[in-house]
Amino acid sequence: MPKHNNDRLQGTLDLLVLKILDRSGAQHGYAIAQRIHQATSDSLRIEEGSLYPALQRMTHEKWLKAQWGTTDSGRKARFYTITAAGRRQLDEEERRWLTLTDAVNKALRFA
Amino acid sequence: MSPLRRLWNVLRRDRLDDELRQEVDTHLALIEEEERANGAGAQATRQARARFGSPLVHRERALDGVMAMSVENIWKEAGFAARRLVRSPAFSVAAVLTLALAIGANAAIFAVVQRVLLNPLPYPDSDRLVDVDHGSQRLNLPSGLGITRGYYYQYLERSHTLDGIALYAAENATLTGDGEPERIRTTRATASLATVLRVGPAIGRWFSEDEGQPGGPQRVVLSHGLWIRRYGGDPGILGRTINLGGVSMDVIGVMPQGFAFPDPRVDVWTPQQITRSMGFGIWLYGAVARLRDGVTVADARTEMNTLIADITRAFPGDEFAAGNSAGIALFSTVRTLKEAMVGAVARALWILLVSVGLVLLVACANVANLFLVRSDARQREVAVRVALGAGRSGIARYFLAESVLLSVAGGALGLAIACGAVRLVVSAGPATLPRLAEIRVDGVAVAYTLLLSVVTAFVFGAIPLWRSIPLGPALNESGRGNTATRSRHHARRLLMGGQVALALTLLIASGLMVRSFQKMRDVDPGFNPDSVLTFRIGLPDRAYPTRAAAVAAHLAILDRLAALPGVVAVSASSGLPLGSGCMGNTLLVQNRPIPPGTTPPIARFCAVAGGYFEAMGMRLLGGRRITRDDVERSLPVVVVNEALAKRVFPNQNPLGQYVSSNAPPARAEGAPGPTPLEIVGVVSNTPSRSLAEPDAASQLYMPMSIAGGPGIPPTALLGPDVALMAFVVRSTTPPSALLPSVRGAVSLVDPKLALALVTTLQAMVDSASAQMAFTMVLLAVAAGVALMLGVIGIYGVMSYIVSQRTAEIGVRLALGAEPRSVAAMILRQGGAVAVAGAVVGLVAAFAGSRLIASLLFGISPHDPAVFAATTVLLLIVVALACWLPARSAARLSPVEALRAD
Repeated sequence: MPKHNNDRLQGTLDLLVLKILDRSGAQHGYAIAQRIHQATSDSLRIEEGSLYPALQRMTHEKWLKAQWGTTDSGRKARFYTITAAGRRQLDEEERRWLTLTDAVNKALRFA
Repeated sequence: MSPLRRLWNVLRRDRLDDELRQEVDTHLALIEEEERANGAGAQATRQARARFGSPLVHRERALDGVMAMSVENIWKEAGFAARRLVRSPAFSVAAVLTLALAIGANAAIFAVVQRVLLNPLPYPDSDRLVDVDHGSQRLNLPSGLGITRGYYYQYLERSHTLDGIALYAAENATLTGDGEPERIRTTRATASLATVLRVGPAIGRWFSEDEGQPGGPQRVVLSHGLWIRRYGGDPGILGRTINLGGVSMDVIGVMPQGFAFPDPRVDVWTPQQITRSMGFGIWLYGAVARLRDGVTVADARTEMNTLIADITRAFPGDEFAAGNSAGIALFSTVRTLKEAMVGAVARALWILLVSVGLVLLVACANVANLFLVRSDARQREVAVRVALGAGRSGIARYFLAESVLLSVAGGALGLAIACGAVRLVVSAGPATLPRLAEIRVDGVAVAYTLLLSVVTAFVFGAIPLWRSIPLGPALNESGRGNTATRSRHHARRLLMGGQVALALTLLIASGLMVRSFQKMRDVDPGFNPDSVLTFRIGLPDRAYPTRAAAVAAHLAILDRLAALPGVVAVSASSGLPLGSGCMGNTLLVQNRPIPPGTTPPIARFCAVAGGYFEAMGMRLLGGRRITRDDVERSLPVVVVNEALAKRVFPNQNPLGQYVSSNAPPARAEGAPGPTPLEIVGVVSNTPSRSLAEPDAASQLYMPMSIAGGPGIPPTALLGPDVALMAFVVRSTTPPSALLPSVRGAVSLVDPKLALALVTTLQAMVDSASAQMAFTMVLLAVAAGVALMLGVIGIYGVMSYIVSQRTAEIGVRLALGAEPRSVAAMILRQGGAVAVAGAVVGLVAAFAGSRLIASLLFGISPHDPAVFAATTVLLLIVVALACWLPARSAARLSPVEALRAD
């Protein structure tokens, strides 16, 4: 089984997805990808397909809830919303992220 | 996510994949639309692929992610856990053995409980079968009277709650022809028995109603065991004739293997030939009935009590009927057949099951402690895993995989132990344990063991888990032992205290049983059981048609036996202590009329040969004994036991008084009543049914030449039938060595006579306390194991605490603390926990020992001596377990200790 090559990147993607869903309510995969591009001003380019392993995993961790629905253009898609557990995870990940970046910033400044 | 859910996911991987494909297709289509809108045109599809990446790869990754902890990974996890366990063999072996011992004990006792108490009796709809029994307030008999013909017909004709009732009576008879004469157990039963039990013969047929009428043809149905044993499984057995008690009977059927009614020793069933016109009768029978659908046992009991009150109308003018209802405050004690069979042992078995359950708890505490030590050692490893993002569930898996593996291994080994233990119980268990032959480790027991193993894994696995998953980042808990381990020490002390409490509870229970057993063995049986061989001889009516002939044959046998070398004394009685054979009847005292509305006293009438009291070693308390001369001259004399003398002749000299059995009302008009017998002696009491009898039964002994027997009309009701006598042979040689010459001596009198129930008086006394011995031994083993495991656990905890505090102790010693005071400090710590545990154990035992009160004999369930002795024993052992680590703490060299960490 191929493991995630980069745990840090994986965690970042989780953080972004959780944050977006926390802000915007139910979204399908394409819309989430769009928002990541918009939010990061296209500076963080990911293969959009790599969202799906993350969405599946987080759904099974019960951080997200998935429901079938139709897009504006009438296509069948799965819409994801964040759960209470997901919000807790988001807080945790945000805190970690800030601690890490803070530490790295300090290190960069004083090294 | 739960393992079940994961398994489900694996099974529906295809469906998940379909859903994902749909989702991904939508996504690709939306990108394409976007690219087209941006003017990508024909490039749109390629652009979409470039932005999305390989749909196949991402789909696979997504699915694998979900399956990340799927079944394959559970195996992987188990494999890792197994490797970790193999790397620490001492820990693994200790844990597996501890668990195997405890789970094995639980599985074995459960197998017994399940087969004896829980398994339905081997009859269709057996929960509808009831034992129809009676008790009497006036006779002080809570149950066990059985039933009379009168009540059988009363219920048969008038009950609306019963769907059939069958009467039976067990007896013994000599089987002759086709080999050695053999004394076998037979049961006379009404034709309805097969329909009530809903079990028919495997070969041939059961009795018809006609064969159950007096004067009907003599038929017999064999047990499967007898058919194989004596007739070699002869397929042509039907229509053969066998000779039972001198009567030829046609074999009409063979019951299926395992049919054992009323007990497994029965080899032959014959028709009970009775009619209603034979009258009310006496308490000779047992009865089994089937309840109608929707009827409860309580309904049946209510109805029977009504029918009991009405018995005189059913048998007008029958004095026995009149005297055996309201007069003796008779009541129905109908209960389910299973309860009647196993009720007596149910409490003991449940208590044993609880006891081994407590042992399992002690074992869990021990293994949990081992785990705590292990998880401490790996605290940093766990902290690293948490820091790397392992969730609580990941850490839980890490530990639970180990505990499940250990306890499944323990369970498998325990199952093997249980199989051995159950075989031991079946071969060595007390014969009084009902359904003994049915006990085995079956599928239910295996399932129980498996369940127990898994539950056990979660119990001992959860404790260290709860202690060791750090709630926050735990990397800061570095090298030196510090305050963070305090809570872990706390958990250990809790486990240690719990072990002390459990072990003490079990110790007290087994201590009470041991004392009860000692008291029972100390009971003066009223006779001397040392070195006495006993056996029964039944004279067939055909060859010995009169009482005189039977008495002459017994005397001839006694003469031959007395002449054997090594024999000190010989005699015979219709019944021995702790056995059957004496006749219970009402007792009339001459010149003492029975006031109307009262019941005369009941006594057991025994018929003896001369010299019986000498041969048995019974003490003479007054008057004289019964001699050979009394027997030969048929003197109307009788010797009574102390209980009868005190009960019937309080403040009176019984010697010289005249007594007789109650005159049977059915005797012919003008026929003489039973001869009054002069009381010539008083002897010591002997137990009639069990060593634990609170009051000895009233008993009297008459010369066998004036008792009942062949040719004596049963209406005379003088005494028991002397055709069947139990012989006692006291010798200087061991009884077993005497047996061949005894057989020879008997066959010199009549080669066709069989020796039945050959045993020793000592063996009879032993088997009377066998059930208590069984409970006692198992409880003592459970308590011993609990104590052993507890001590090992406490020693382990104390040693560990000392090793953890090595640095601190080093500092204390370096600062000038006395080694003695260091040892005392460690001892104090262990002692405080032990005392707290002991207090809890004492309280639990005080509250719980009431549950075993009914198993005890001659001792209060709160016996202070037992409580004190077991507590002292426990505290000494625990002190020893604490002292060894304390001593090693005191012997630490401060320099070494400080360097150690």
